[in-house]
Amino acid sequence: MTPMHLYAGFIYLFLYAPIALVVFFSFNSGRYAMDWQGFSTQWYAIAFSNELIVRALRTSIGIALATAFLSTVIGTLAALGLERLKGVLRQLFDALIYVAIMVPSVVIGIATLIAFVTLFDTLNPTIEWMLGRRAEMGSWTVTAAHVLFNIAVVILIVRARLTGMDQALVEAAADLYATPFGTFRQVVLPLLAPAIVAGFLLAFTFSFEDFIIAFFVAGPDTTLPIYVFSSIRRGVTPEINAVGTVVLLASLSLMLIAQALLRTRRAAAKPAVPAAGAR
Amino acid sequence: MTRKHWENRPISAKEFMRELRRLEKGSVSRRHFLAVTGLATATATLAGSMPWLKPRRAFAAGLSGTVNLTTWPNYHSQQNLDDFAAKTGVKVNMSVFGSNEEMLAKLQAGSTGWDVFVPTNYTISTYQQLGLIEPLELAKLPNYDAAAQDKRFTAEGTINGTVYAVPKDWGTTGYVINTKKVTQNPTSWKDFWELAQGPLSGRVMVHDYQLTTIGNALKQFGYSFNSNDEKELGDAEKLLIAVKPHLFGINSDYQPSMRNGDAWMSVCWTGDATQLHRDLPEMQYVIGREGGEIWTDYYAVPKGAPNREAAYALIDYLLTPDINAKEVKAHGYPSTDQRANALLPKETLENPILYPAKELLSNLEFGAAQTLTNPLRAEIMARFKAA
Amino acid sequence: MSRQRSLATAAGTVAGPHEGARAGGRSPLITALLISPAALFFIFLLILPLAVVVIYSFGERAPAGGYAPAFTFANYLNLPARGKAFLNTLTLAPLATLITAIVAYPMAYFLALKAPARWRLLLLALCIVPFWTSQLLRYYAWMMILGSRGIPSWLAAIGIEDLRIINTPSAVLIGAVYGFLPLMVPPIYVSLEKLDRRLIEAAADLGATPLSSFMQITLPMSLPGVATGSMLVFILLMGDYILPQFLGGGKVFFIGNALVDLFLQSRNWPFGAAVSVALVAIMFATIVVYMRFVLGLSGQRRVALV
Repeated sequence: MTPMHLYAGFIYLFLYAPIALVVFFSFNSGRYAMDWQGFSTQWYAIAFSNELIVRALRTSIGIALATAFLSTVIGTLAALGLERLKGVLRQLFDALIYVAIMVPSVVIGIATLIAFVTLFDTLNPTIEWMLGRRAEMGSWTVTAAHVLFNIAVVILIVRARLTGMDQALVEAAADLYATPFGTFRQVVLPLLAPAIVAGFLLAFTFSFEDFIIAFFVAGPDTTLPIYVFSSIRRGVTPEINAVGTVVLLASLSLMLIAQALLRTRRAAAKPAVPAAGAR
Repeated sequence: MTRKHWENRPISAKEFMRELRRLEKGSVSRRHFLAVTGLATATATLAGSMPWLKPRRAFAAGLSGTVNLTTWPNYHSQQNLDDFAAKTGVKVNMSVFGSNEEMLAKLQAGSTGWDVFVPTNYTISTYQQLGLIEPLELAKLPNYDAAAQDKRFTAEGTINGTVYAVPKDWGTTGYVINTKKVTQNPTSWKDFWELAQGPLSGRVMVHDYQLTTIGNALKQFGYSFNSNDEKELGDAEKLLIAVKPHLFGINSDYQPSMRNGDAWMSVCWTGDATQLHRDLPEMQYVIGREGGEIWTDYYAVPKGAPNREAAYALIDYLLTPDINAKEVKAHGYPSTDQRANALLPKETLENPILYPAKELLSNLEFGAAQTLTNPLRAEIMARFKAA
Repeated sequence: MSRQRSLATAAGTVAGPHEGARAGGRSPLITALLISPAALFFIFLLILPLAVVVIYSFGERAPAGGYAPAFTFANYLNLPARGKAFLNTLTLAPLATLITAIVAYPMAYFLALKAPARWRLLLLALCIVPFWTSQLLRYYAWMMILGSRGIPSWLAAIGIEDLRIINTPSAVLIGAVYGFLPLMVPPIYVSLEKLDRRLIEAAADLGATPLSSFMQITLPMSLPGVATGSMLVFILLMGDYILPQFLGGGKVFFIGNALVDLFLQSRNWPFGAAVSVALVAIMFATIVVYMRFVLGLSGQRRVALV
């Protein structure tokens, strides 16, 4: 046991002790945190029969799924398209991608809020006349804001994978008279799969856990982080610990599943023979 | 079952509170609570003798969906909201804000999706000017009786003869002290600010709300709570900046910190003091001798409310005298409605937190509209927080 | 904050120079179709909103709050009114970044160079897993630990009375180091792992002490990783709101807090817009400095190897 080992152990303890505390007190039968009164799973039952929590959870999952799906599709398409783009347009796009990532979430939240407010103020009379109802902020505005950031992330991840791809495979497919779309479907896409999956998961997690952007643009809708934020300010019951523990376990399992999936995909994607594309 | 001789005497305040706590925790049924406290008998008798006390359920047919209620922390009886949902099929989606500024900010940003919200008296004229609230259709609020309201508290809901908001409850802004830790027996705002910088350094909280924080700093000097005078505000700002290093926190959600002992003294609203005292008798409420704030909260419907029918139904329900009385018992703020007061037990009506002594009340000021919107006060607050 | 996670991944996979043109000429139409959805998003949800912010920053506060159209530089001239918020952020953020880097480095060193090869990725993953807990809850945990029922009560038991940690800059520092440690370790790990061991062996053969080979080989070659991690952490700290709000209790005021206050409390939108523009300007200045620094370092590296 060298000092290094001790240090690493201490760091792991430092990282996990607070999380363990949250999980631990979710089983507290007493009402206040840090005030252990005995073991109980009551808070899990209470949390999941709490209308507000269930609704917030559903809203968050809905937004996250929509965000992940949209950003993965749009981002992957964009990464493929950007490969073929040259010159000023390409540089502009690259710059925009970095802007989207570097601008702090709080500014993105504010900017999106202001933009939507101005947009709605101008367009709502027309929209109301046409559709009979006004455009309001809600889950869809949150999704839109989340998708923006995640498109940039997906583009970066997929693009990195694209450039690392072995060109010989694509050329071999072309030599074997594969159509461009066929090549895409049977060569490029499977090789890109790990990056696409990684992008999907990242987009989902980011959207699910985002607080500050949703805080500004969610309107009357409540996401889980917004609910947790209000609870923490008002006085937390172990309900919140229970919800947090469940979310932690869910994300951990998601990650493990993704890891397993990626490992099998990597093994399967090892190109033994370019059998793809032959028609 | 045979009744013991002591079961016929009126219930004492301590027993009342104990039964109330048991009811809140769910250890006893409502029936038991009403029976034991004698409220059931009282209500039945009253209902019989005063026909207007019988609630008129005037819910329109075709109510559905959810009603978005935007309100303050710890301000409603969850039981009442659940009952409303059960009776009408409309779920109540409650969101909570800590200051009128935040509510105003969200309404100005537009498309909030709120159906009912709870503005404080000084905001209503601003909302009306900005076109953010709609005049109330009193025909849809049969349980609201303007004549039964205490006149001191209802003026600001009516602008030029049009009713924009109906009163919910009233209260005061003072400060709460944990008497186990605070032994100096403060009675004034001067005491508050001195203790904050002295023996209670590191244990005092103020609201993250310019109206009360700057207002009560002004009181130390004897200025008006609503002062917009630059020099007076300058003095208040100096005091606040001097106190800031000694504060525990600047937060309108002070109950958790008071409860767990992080803070021993905090600027406080009536109902929070009632709730704290109910659970922890060492919590005492102090109204500064120099004065301070008295306020009324109202129900209002913002323009563009998505579920207007349900909004009116909810307001009407919550203003029904017996429901209103239950609200008072839950949140601990005094009602403006004499009919609700008639249903409250003597102990509640004599509780000095809810109903302070007249001499203390007479010094208090209602907040003014310009006080809220004055950009100088907002700027001072931001500078104070940044200091 | 999972945005940190996304950034870490993105930074780690930033593409190098594109090698070789793709075979075949796909039509410009297809290219346009491929990138147009993303382009639309960037135009309407990035460029447009940021443009609106810039426009608002030249406006005036409406009497009851909000925006009134105008053209004035008053908001930019008034930026010093929030000078304290900028100062707080610009002192605490670098300090927190530095401490995080110092704490993270030995950990990354251990993982990259001392841990058994089989366990390396698992141990690294274990470092990153705390990210999978909601950041709100992790900060809440620290509110409990640093509140009067946590560490101060244990210290009181051994005689150190009345120590207040929560709602101080120290609490925010601890929270920052805790929150961003998982973000700092991977980049340093990556740059240490790429280190050619033979260099160290060669140095040892030539009689260098472990310390001097560390100072002259390992440390300089891992600096790009430290710089990447530091930049990520610094940028995220600059814009943070939740950390100072929860662990500072309203007493520690970052630019993030100033922005939330300006939009949701004092409702001075034009001034808030100006502060946002200033914040973004500072961030981009930081990135430019970082890019120069890292590119400069890489240049040095190439020379050193010759």
